Amino acid sequence: MAKQHRVVWDGNMAASQAMRQAQIDVVAAYPITPSTPIVQNYSQFVADGEVEGEFVMVESEHSAMSACVGAAAGGGRVATATSSQGYALMVEVIYQASGMRLPIVMNVVNRALAAPLNIHGDHSDMYLGRDAGWINLVANNPQEAYDLCLCAFKIAEDMRVRLPVAVNQDGFLVSHTAEVGEHLEDADAYGFVGDYTAHNPMLDPAKPVTYGAQTEGEWHYEHKMRQNYALVNAVPVVEEVLKAYSQLSGRDYAPVECYQTEDADELIICMGSVVGTTTMTVDRLRKAGRKVGMVAIRLWRPFPKEALAAAIKNAKSIAVLDRSCPMGTTGALYNETAAVMVENDKSANLINYIYGLGGRDTTTEHLEGIFDDAAECTKAGKRVKPIIQTINLRGKSLSFYE
Amino acid sequence: MTEEHLLKGWEEFEAGALLFSFEGDPSQRKFHENNSIHHSVADWRVLKPVFNEELCIHCQFCWVFCPDTSIIPKDKKFGEIDYVHCKGCGICSDVCPTNPKSLVMFANQTPIEEALRNWPAKDEKKKENSDG
Amino acid sequence: MGEIKQIKNLKEFSTSVERFQGGHRLCPGCSHSIIVREIVNATEDDLCISTATGCLEVCSTIYPFTSWDVSWIHIGFENAAAAISGTEAMHKALARKKKGYSDKPMKFIAFAGDGGTYDIGFQSLSGAVERGHDFMYVCLDNEGYMNTGGQRSSSTPVGGATTTSPAGRVSYGEKMQKKDMTAIMAAHRCQYVAQVAPSSWKDLVKKAQKAYQTPGATYINAMSPCPTEWKFDPSMSMEVSKVMVDSCVCPLYEIEYDPQTHNYKYTVNYEPKNKLPVKEYMALQGRFKHLFKPEFSHVIDQWQRDIDAQWDYIRRRQDAGV
Repeated sequence: MAKQHRVVWDGNMAASQAMRQAQIDVVAAYPITPSTPIVQNYSQFVADGEVEGEFVMVESEHSAMSACVGAAAGGGRVATATSSQGYALMVEVIYQASGMRLPIVMNVVNRALAAPLNIHGDHSDMYLGRDAGWINLVANNPQEAYDLCLCAFKIAEDMRVRLPVAVNQDGFLVSHTAEVGEHLEDADAYGFVGDYTAHNPMLDPAKPVTYGAQTEGEWHYEHKMRQNYALVNAVPVVEEVLKAYSQLSGRDYAPVECYQTEDADELIICMGSVVGTTTMTVDRLRKAGRKVGMVAIRLWRPFPKEALAAAIKNAKSIAVLDRSCPMGTTGALYNETAAVMVENDKSANLINYIYGLGGRDTTTEHLEGIFDDAAECTKAGKRVKPIIQTINLRGKSLSFYE
Repeated sequence: MTEEHLLKGWEEFEAGALLFSFEGDPSQRKFHENNSIHHSVADWRVLKPVFNEELCIHCQFCWVFCPDTSIIPKDKKFGEIDYVHCKGCGICSDVCPTNPKSLVMFANQTPIEEALRNWPAKDEKKKENSDG
Repeated sequence: MGEIKQIKNLKEFSTSVERFQGGHRLCPGCSHSIIVREIVNATEDDLCISTATGCLEVCSTIYPFTSWDVSWIHIGFENAAAAISGTEAMHKALARKKKGYSDKPMKFIAFAGDGGTYDIGFQSLSGAVERGHDFMYVCLDNEGYMNTGGQRSSSTPVGGATTTSPAGRVSYGEKMQKKDMTAIMAAHRCQYVAQVAPSSWKDLVKKAQKAYQTPGATYINAMSPCPTEWKFDPSMSMEVSKVMVDSCVCPLYEIEYDPQTHNYKYTVNYEPKNKLPVKEYMALQGRFKHLFKPEFSHVIDQWQRDIDAQWDYIRRRQDAGV
């Protein structure tokens, strides 16, 4: 195991430090709350001569991702950071990044989408880019934001993958919450990420290449399926990289993180900062003799279907937490879980909670309430709760799909 | 129309829908199968330019103003017309400064010999224009 | 900085190794490819090009074919400048780290239509130019969204009939003045901006070479007569271009900004011996046909006054040396 240094970093500083250590060739970025400190920290690294690459402060997120695509196609390591409305402005171009198979790394500090305007954390932006063809990792605390950012470069640039990777972290609850953590020495971190491997660089005059051709009816389907093939088959590469990182750092990660799931009757499936709170809740209820557990989704895309199926195989009732308003149907993580259950002939009581929108607090008490709901279903042997419920919402009790 | 030999399976295309200009070293000018030089647009043409060597002063106006890279010069002289890529727009004939013109538009199916036999006479009203 | 390619005359120019191939799907007689060839063949340095969505983009890279013999990228409609700024930044970064792919000089170009420049790509262009990336931005200005059937843009001139500013029983077509993009780009303190027309090949090549040699961002407004939507016979593109220049609808001029003195130096590169009335230019094109009805004749009169004023203005700036 490599030597490590203890520090107090928030999620933004953790991501910026990982970016510095990866020796990125071009960072093109535009500040937006709550990811602004990433851009500011990186600016300071540049000002202090700690970065040899180019730092391009563009005039919008659209141009940030456009410059990232142009730079990555040029043939070198590229990264950026954004949040919320900025992510929304980028959306057109994030599809281009994945469609051109460019290994860009983006730290996404998750935040609500307007209207109404809100600067705090939820997963609306992450869900907006759900089908964009990026690998999406979810960091649940500053330490993970650092670790996964380093892993992201290695995953993205792997020749079997060559796809962009987003490292998500919750706005404020992770990005602005300073915690004690550890980081690798610069040489070890860079040694892990490795030198960039060029693949069809525009800047090589010995092999002129055209990026971004128009593929009409006879070609488009084939190209999209090839892209999807690479994305679906990235799961084992992600596992491999996380394992290698664990050997270096001693910190274990997996596409699906299981906590007390083996004998649990009731499970919560969730992502993001709520994972920490749920872990505490599980501990508290376990002390009281309750058989509860948690499944945290670390890899949102490509969705780790097999690992999730294994994680939920013994559960009797499953509560899925979605931190984004599903607008006219059930939450996206709920839908994924339901699909995995159907595919595996797994029956369990399945309920969905929409929580934490716009930074609304979710506490251990709320999570205990969810486990109580799930336990009621287990006891009754059927779902006795509405399919979608709300947590910590003012006004008359609100649920959907009785 | 799509060239059949290029219709490959999903696993055979270059990832990212990239296209390449050359096979190997660009200075060897061996064009990749995906270079549009291999794509014919001849079926766009209604009229075709016919070249009359007798009249040409090798000014290269037709070369520089051809939108389809279809006038192929040779050693600073007029070389040939690339009928695979010429769409028959008629610019080459329009900009030709000789009188009568050294490039004249004829119906696409007209044989070259017939076109040369029916070459228009010198336009007496038109002042010879060679300053472009 | 690369050597300037010697192009004394067309014979010499005709020995160029072509970098933009035929087989593309631009309309017959399209001026875009004439301009593109004049620009890419004006240098022997290696090139990286971005192109905004539009006629040139869609017609030159319809899968499975590319017409480009140099590296090329298209991302979107509004981001040709941002895209090439990223590639240029990568070039700089790799050179600094001594990890570049080639030691030979590399030039960067962004091509975009007037829609991708005057309208949707304006912000991206402004940003990339302000940041000082070393690239040449070429606007292929055919005064409308011609790739999608001829809709108006902020470059469409007054009186021009387009599919979204059609002439009708009560309308003479486009009502808004064409944006003065060249002046706007000069105001960005680009060290070199110029306007060109494809028929004036020597002027165009010289300006392209000047732009290649100028550090930082440069801007070329290339007026591009469009047979399809300006409605004239495809063989007439260069005729229309010539009349456009000789009527001073498209004055050939350049503006050089001196970062030391903050002075803008205007140069008129061509003064027509016999300045043609704008009516002659308009009469060549179907898009202005309706203006020749008596009730709309005031539009032509206004055009003449506007063009005269603009021509006068440019020459006064030249004469004043500021």
